[in-house]
Amino acid sequence: MSKTELEEDLRETFERAAASVPPAPDLTARATTGAKQAQRRTWIASGGAAAAVALVAAIGFSLSGGGPAASPEPAASAAPATSAGAVAAVTTPQMLSGTWRPVRLDGFATLKTARPDDPTLTFAPDGTWTGSDGCNAISGTFSIGQRGEFSSQANGQRLIECQNVPHTGVLAVAKRVDSTQTTLRFYAADGREVATYARAR
Amino acid sequence: MEFEEYASARGQELVRLGFTVSGDYQRAEDLAQIALMQAFRSWRKVQRADDPHTYVRRILINSYLSMTRRRSFTEAPAAELDPDRTVPDPATDIVNSDDLWRALATLSARERVVLVLRYYQDLDDRTIADLLGIKPSSVRATASRALATLRRTRQSHRVDERLP
Repeated sequence: MSKTELEEDLRETFERAAASVPPAPDLTARATTGAKQAQRRTWIASGGAAAAVALVAAIGFSLSGGGPAASPEPAASAAPATSAGAVAAVTTPQMLSGTWRPVRLDGFATLKTARPDDPTLTFAPDGTWTGSDGCNAISGTFSIGQRGEFSSQANGQRLIECQNVPHTGVLAVAKRVDSTQTTLRFYAADGREVATYARAR
Repeated sequence: MEFEEYASARGQELVRLGFTVSGDYQRAEDLAQIALMQAFRSWRKVQRADDPHTYVRRILINSYLSMTRRRSFTEAPAAELDPDRTVPDPATDIVNSDDLWRALATLSARERVVLVLRYYQDLDDRTIADLLGIKPSSVRATASRALATLRRTRQSHRVDERLP
């Protein structure tokens, strides 16, 4: 085959492949919304970091014998910053116990779609989990290491398709977990956050 | 040109570019969205570029190349659906029927990107080099290596087809 013929075939193949791409709806809206959310997260993170720096400075000042900082008033004003940024150092199965609802799953955009069941996950202290992907009951086991290492095994089941919320995919990919009283986050092997859950009320 | 104007005019083109480099519809949409999001965040800078579309394409291509360098590239949360119940996409069949498309999947990410930019986007080697941040000679060498691989792969497929 001559190089020219191959190059011509390549052009045709790319054109055909590109023509097969279905229209992507709402790209503009998704991009602007996503960018604004990311910007908001950056501001919140910057605010959190600034609050942490201020707290460390206040503590340092009070330890070094600074006058007013030694009084209870600054400590009280600094308290909310600590609790807002508080992440449990070590997550245990007991801390995961309870029911969680998905807030964000990486690459999954249809969380708000109506489904027959609430797509929640419930972790038990005995290392088992149960839940629903929106249309099917799902279950499995999990374990958490001393430094938050996470592993999970789903029980085999046949699933009915209905824009299923991919909890089992998240749990399979998750290699680390951290949690607060209200938020649960899973991370992949490369440290990427793959999902965020909030405690269901 | 305002961002909304650009995105509605060129958004789908970006998805197509994402698909030709990645071979995956979902990833193609993600790539287009990432590129548009980043462009939106620094739209004034993008507007000032000689060619805003090339600027956004650079974001998309670099996002794809960084994505392929991650260890978790093949990992993505997905529901474990019953394969018997999933409905095949006819467009996928059209593409999969092409042996050259399948052969492209055997190339490295950078090789495939170079071919896409050259033969789908019709960019010259200097522009491709600028877009990828490499020398034009590297673009020529990468393209030549990729074409040789494709030629070999196609020839071996044709020999296989003649075998009983």
